[in-house]
Amino acid sequence: MFSRTSIQTKANIISISLSLAATFIITALLIILIGKNPIEVFGNMFSEVFLSGYGIGQTLFKTTPLIICGCGLAFCFHASIFNIGAEGQLNAGAFAMSLIALKLGAFPWYISIIICIVVAFGVSALFGLIPAIIKIKKDVSEVITTIMMNFIIMALINYFLVDFFAVKSTMHTEKIPEDMMLMKFSSITSFFQGSSLNISFIIALALAVISYIVIYKTKFGYEIRAVGFNPSASKYIGLSPDKIIIITFIIGAGITSLTGLNFIMGYKGFYEYGFSNNVGFTAIAVALLARNNPIGIIFSALLFGVLDSGGLAVNEIVPKEIVLVVQGVIILTILSINTIVDKKFNIAK
Amino acid sequence: MELFNSILTVAFLTQVFRLMTPYYLGASAANFSERGGVINIAIEGFMILSAFSFAMFNILTHNIPLAIFLALIINVVFALLYSVFTVKLKINQIVTGVGFNILIAGLTKFLMMIIFHSSSNTERFEGIPDNELIGKIPLVGAILSDYIVLFALILIFLSNFILFKTTFGLRLRSVGENPEAAESLGIKVRRYKVYGILISGFLAALGGIWLASEQKSFSDGMIAGRGYIALAAMIIGKWKPVNIFFASLIFAFFEALQISIQISGVPIPSQLIQMLPYLITILVLIGLIGKTKPPAADGVPY
Amino acid sequence: MYAVEFENITKSFGLLTVNDKVTFGVKENSVHCLLGENGAGKSTLMKILFGSYKQDSGTIKIRGKEVKFKSPLDAIDEKIGMLYQHFMLIDEFTIWENVVLGNEMNAGMKLDYKKIKYRLNEIIEIYNLGLDINKKICDISISQEQKVELLKLLYRNSDILIFDEPTAVLSPVEVNEFFKIIEKFKADGKTIIFITHKLNEVKELADRVSILRKGQLVYETDKADIDVQKLGKEIIGNVEVAESPAKISPNEENKKSFIELKDVTLIKDKVKVLDDITIDIRRYEIHGICGVEGNGQQELVDVILQFEKNISGTVMMKDERVSIVPDDRYKRGMIKEFTVGENLILKKPSEGLISKRTVDTASQYIMKKYDVRAPSAETPIGSLSGGNQQKAIIAREIEMQQNTMIFYHPTRGVDINATAFIHSEIVSLRNAGKAILLVSSDLDELLKLSDRLSVMHKGRLIKTFDETELSSGNRNNLLEQIGKLMIGIH
Repeated sequence: MFSRTSIQTKANIISISLSLAATFIITALLIILIGKNPIEVFGNMFSEVFLSGYGIGQTLFKTTPLIICGCGLAFCFHASIFNIGAEGQLNAGAFAMSLIALKLGAFPWYISIIICIVVAFGVSALFGLIPAIIKIKKDVSEVITTIMMNFIIMALINYFLVDFFAVKSTMHTEKIPEDMMLMKFSSITSFFQGSSLNISFIIALALAVISYIVIYKTKFGYEIRAVGFNPSASKYIGLSPDKIIIITFIIGAGITSLTGLNFIMGYKGFYEYGFSNNVGFTAIAVALLARNNPIGIIFSALLFGVLDSGGLAVNEIVPKEIVLVVQGVIILTILSINTIVDKKFNIAK
Repeated sequence: MELFNSILTVAFLTQVFRLMTPYYLGASAANFSERGGVINIAIEGFMILSAFSFAMFNILTHNIPLAIFLALIINVVFALLYSVFTVKLKINQIVTGVGFNILIAGLTKFLMMIIFHSSSNTERFEGIPDNELIGKIPLVGAILSDYIVLFALILIFLSNFILFKTTFGLRLRSVGENPEAAESLGIKVRRYKVYGILISGFLAALGGIWLASEQKSFSDGMIAGRGYIALAAMIIGKWKPVNIFFASLIFAFFEALQISIQISGVPIPSQLIQMLPYLITILVLIGLIGKTKPPAADGVPY
Repeated sequence: MYAVEFENITKSFGLLTVNDKVTFGVKENSVHCLLGENGAGKSTLMKILFGSYKQDSGTIKIRGKEVKFKSPLDAIDEKIGMLYQHFMLIDEFTIWENVVLGNEMNAGMKLDYKKIKYRLNEIIEIYNLGLDINKKICDISISQEQKVELLKLLYRNSDILIFDEPTAVLSPVEVNEFFKIIEKFKADGKTIIFITHKLNEVKELADRVSILRKGQLVYETDKADIDVQKLGKEIIGNVEVAESPAKISPNEENKKSFIELKDVTLIKDKVKVLDDITIDIRRYEIHGICGVEGNGQQELVDVILQFEKNISGTVMMKDERVSIVPDDRYKRGMIKEFTVGENLILKKPSEGLISKRTVDTASQYIMKKYDVRAPSAETPIGSLSGGNQQKAIIAREIEMQQNTMIFYHPTRGVDINATAFIHSEIVSLRNAGKAILLVSSDLDELLKLSDRLSVMHKGRLIKTFDETELSSGNRNNLLEQIGKLMIGIH
């Protein structure tokens, strides 16, 4: 006789392994179909990603925003908030981060960074607050509002960039002062030479651990999950679902802004239109794969990070776009296999 | 003033009606799915898929009817796959929709590289020719001579008839409103949900095909959120065919306006006009323009 | 001649056998009452008859012929109709759309509205149902909804009718009306299987009675031999039921009001759902509220819980928080994915980090103290039996130690033992000086427990019986008086 948690763990392990195996096979078939050798492709990917300090560094660099954004979404998803708007929310926050950073020359770097984080968090949170309020007050699903907000935010950023803030004939803002940039790993050890991996990665890991504790080990976390499971029961139990949904939405959206740290403060030094490269959507898959468990998110983000940096590694053999296909396949295999395995184990959703 | 004059022309109105077509087809697609209780945010992906497959087969075979046929088939197959996820396995519909959109966007980019060796666009091809006979009718000829536009206009009445005057429509709607009640009367709930999704795949495909045919090429990002605007049109249209048509018309008007503004050089930022459909949708949703209510069991797996 | 014959029907869900070799026949053109406690297997048996479930073994014969139903559709083809306890109606559809769904009349590709209208109005006239077929379900009353369900059966020419607790939602007057329709059904040659809890209804209607207990057929009798007392015993079986403790009443001055509502009116969608309510709930007292469902009870509770903000009148409460055992435990009572302990923790103020140990200890504490039976402390509350779930919820509320408590249908869908336990807990709480509001539609429960009893009708409190009125006088007169008040006659 297994306890509930151990059955769940076992089911999780089985479904994740099966999903990965299925994805692996589908990808191999796809590669064979276009007349290439899958072993060569996977081999190249492996050696590029895992066998050099640069490869490892780049992979972790690409993993960082996925962990951050995945954690933000985990909060939302636990409360049954279907936030499809992370892409817009994180861009709004990151854009604000780049602009405020340019104004903070006079402060010591650590204060500047804190201000940057607070401002970015606040701006992203604001764009979480809007759909949250519409959901509460007007009973309109956040799915549709967040999708619409994505387009609105991107159009607004485009407008402000083109008409006010962009460096002429580019789509990016001016570069922030060098001393405000976050420390790169390559400056500590030459192992990571050339890679863009920076302190944001550590911040992302810390964020995951904190998120885990908040969600599973605090009263607030219990409240979030209770509201996610059953809002009307939560109300009769004495919680305020509306309040919890608003707070969770704000936290979730706010966290996504921290992805800006990695790119702006840790890498380029400016906001660039389209920098996020659909992280806000990929992170949905990252969170799902980990069943919204922030510790699991570290690993699922890593998987997508490997794919992302591996794509470039195999570009000479197969187009790097194959990675996009693999991502899509992973999402769908995980969704279906999870469901089937859960059914086999009689785990009620 | 010049801009104002350019709007009050037959050419502009024709443009509006033509641009309405993909929105209306996408919105009707979403509507048939949601009337059966399945949210379909994969409309965007479906339109990308059909636009691409139409372009691909058109370039490869130079046979337009065949290209249309194959594009429709492929979309319906994907719609069937979507129904396996959402109806058979009862996986969350939003998440499935996001997954499909990611997969299809990736798949088309990948296939473009493989087949056309470009990540941005295909070569040009022949669009679907207009019906010359209809084209000769004054004023409306320019609109009605396009087969797909014509179909979209007929669809207004056709979908109204199917949804509200036929047994099929009654059953489809019952499944979206209260599947338990429908099942108690012997309705095959899942089967009707699948029908709704298949119709959805078919109609979305027509929308995508029209866009590719109009542009005479496929390029990455060419659907540009039209699938999502279509969802918005469906919501604003309160899941009713005629209202959805008017909502689509409004969105088409703004798109045509944006094009006119760009041409006329009037200093109104085009991004802000691009933003309008989404903004209007939110304003409608928060009730500034009227209340909307989805089918009661929309999005609930059964 | 039998209309329906059950032969050795057995059905299990997992380890639980819900129907155990059930064998009996239902005579054609008769009213056959099926009795039993919640969970005795009545609904399962009927769902098997109707094709919603498939039996593990045994056969069903309809009019002497063996049948194997794959779905309700097959049952409908055999002219079997089911009147569900929870109506199967589509709110946004009109009456006619609801009725014809699944058996549409067509003219070519179109629905033949003219023909449908003619046929439905014909039936409505014959059975005097008084329905407007173009009205939407969301715009009609509950008793009208039930008539729509009847219309569905009649439209399909069903002649074996299964009624699953049809009178639970009706007021006494509506029940009489309903019985008249049943008599008309019988006069038209139809066969009726009638599931009910109300033994007086059995006496009035039944040609034959069958009783299920724990999945087995335990007793059968014909009309002539129906003895209500005997039926009651057979339904329960030989179980020792805990007696509630005696009420202890302190001096009047100790009965302070903990909650006072004065002239409270609440308007929702332009309807006065609460109309000028004045009520006080005092300590050492159980204040019962009775009424047909949907007459403002929910709103009254919501006002006390402060969920409703736009009220006129005044609400005075001794404490900010009030304990509530809600009416629908699945929807409102618990987070079924959480364990007993986790459900308890949700209620308590935050205490920093919560470890698994804290939670499990809390589970074990409740399980032990209130005899909540669960496989382990880690079992989600949703997998417990109904009675244990309800006990756990009540335990959780008692543990909160609020001065005021609301019990809303506290024993609905709970077996006899758990009911006795819950009743004795409620009386003990009262004796300990809590102020208790008891909302129920079970008159026996209300009369047994209440110190005062108020009747609600259309959002108004139309009468409050005090202790002396409740304890003195003839019980039947009292019941009749309350019954009339419940439908607004006073």
